[in-house]
Amino acid sequence: MAVIDAKNVLRGLTVAEAMRRQVIAVHAEAPLEKIIRFAFKYKVNAILVQDPQQHALGVVTKTDLMGAYYAGLPLDTPGKAVMVGPPLFCHQGDSLDQALDLMRQHRIHRLYVYDEDPRLAVGVLAYPDIVGMLYRFCTRCNRSILRRKRADTDANLAEYLRVREVMTPTVETLDSGASLVEIMTALAATRLAAILLVDREGRPAGVVSKTDLILAYKHRLPPETPGERIMSAPVRTCSQETYLALALRDMIFWDLYRLFVIHPEDHHLVGVLSLSDAARFRSGTCRACLVSRIAV
Amino acid sequence: MTDSARDVMDTRLFTLRPEDTVAAAVARFQQASREAGRRVFGMLVVDEAQHLRGMVSVYDIFLLLRPKHTHIWGEMTDLDLTGLLDAACERARPVLVGDIMTTDLITITPETHVLLLIDIMIKKHVRRLPVLEQGRVVGMVYLSRVFDYLVGKLVRG
Repeated sequence: MAVIDAKNVLRGLTVAEAMRRQVIAVHAEAPLEKIIRFAFKYKVNAILVQDPQQHALGVVTKTDLMGAYYAGLPLDTPGKAVMVGPPLFCHQGDSLDQALDLMRQHRIHRLYVYDEDPRLAVGVLAYPDIVGMLYRFCTRCNRSILRRKRADTDANLAEYLRVREVMTPTVETLDSGASLVEIMTALAATRLAAILLVDREGRPAGVVSKTDLILAYKHRLPPETPGERIMSAPVRTCSQETYLALALRDMIFWDLYRLFVIHPEDHHLVGVLSLSDAARFRSGTCRACLVSRIAV
Repeated sequence: MTDSARDVMDTRLFTLRPEDTVAAAVARFQQASREAGRRVFGMLVVDEAQHLRGMVSVYDIFLLLRPKHTHIWGEMTDLDLTGLLDAACERARPVLVGDIMTTDLITITPETHVLLLIDIMIKKHVRRLPVLEQGRVVGMVYLSRVFDYLVGKLVRG
């Protein structure tokens, strides 16, 4: 542990420097309809539930909202009925490493941050925010994998990385005839945020994310509705031979977290590329940082 | 009662429906600005029975346009982002007003005193207050109109 600490480029950074100060919260009686609207509007995966003194009671995530849809709960059900609590907190003066350790222990990607009152959230620390910070640090770090390679070859390798070097070579798919219930079951089983629907020939037909599902819930679609009705189509794909910088640009333009990767010749699916993985790889993040050891 | 919301409220109302798209909403913002002769930054959302359901402001539209993952790629200053705003607008147009509107509204009545309503504006950081009478919307108080009214009073002193 001590050795890792000594190599840590993020050493000395505190939670306060990485956290967001905008905490999206509702009171305990707020209906699920409102919580869905907040998750969509503020583009967050979790909403904090507070008592009238603004003390944290629990958290409702998109997964919990999907569970409520699955269970057929009415949209006016209060948030407190589905929240999971109490939420985990870290102090804003804690080191980023301490906070990341806590996330790792509990296998979560988000911590609420307190200052003086341990029940009052003054910020939120989410793993993707740290991935963004990593980019800033790792591109300048002497231990950066890319910097070391660059010294060998004297070329800007970041520009020449290809998707196949970074992608995850497995993809979860469902038949495009699957209902929203079947999609929710699959998402709950895999802990993924979205699932790919494929046609009979195995070609990508559309993507259904948790956000699509909670909006379907808000729009009162029956859970037996075919996934095709709410899926995003066409599926955004890239070839495994595409340069990573171009794939990243596509994700930014389409505001996507993932691109499905296809073989350049036969166009069959070969993997999936996530924005976090692409960012970490592009920044040259090495295993010296504790932060790089958390699975996204 | 004098110096009340009734003296400063606009009674010509431009409203939206929850099922309107953002594209239709911004067109209505433009139309309202033209017809009212001042810039409209927020609009009430009412249902078929004219009951207040929420409000959409420019801030809600900013939130919608804001890309979701900037925290990850915001540091990548070397990428070419030409056309990014057009792509964001394209995505925002079909979104429904009911999915982005604000429902935590502070309302007043026509009898609310001007000094009470400026107190609400200060404490709650709001620039416009819907005026309700027996559950129905009868007007809207805008900060700019309140300012004009107060300036009028102040200069006379």
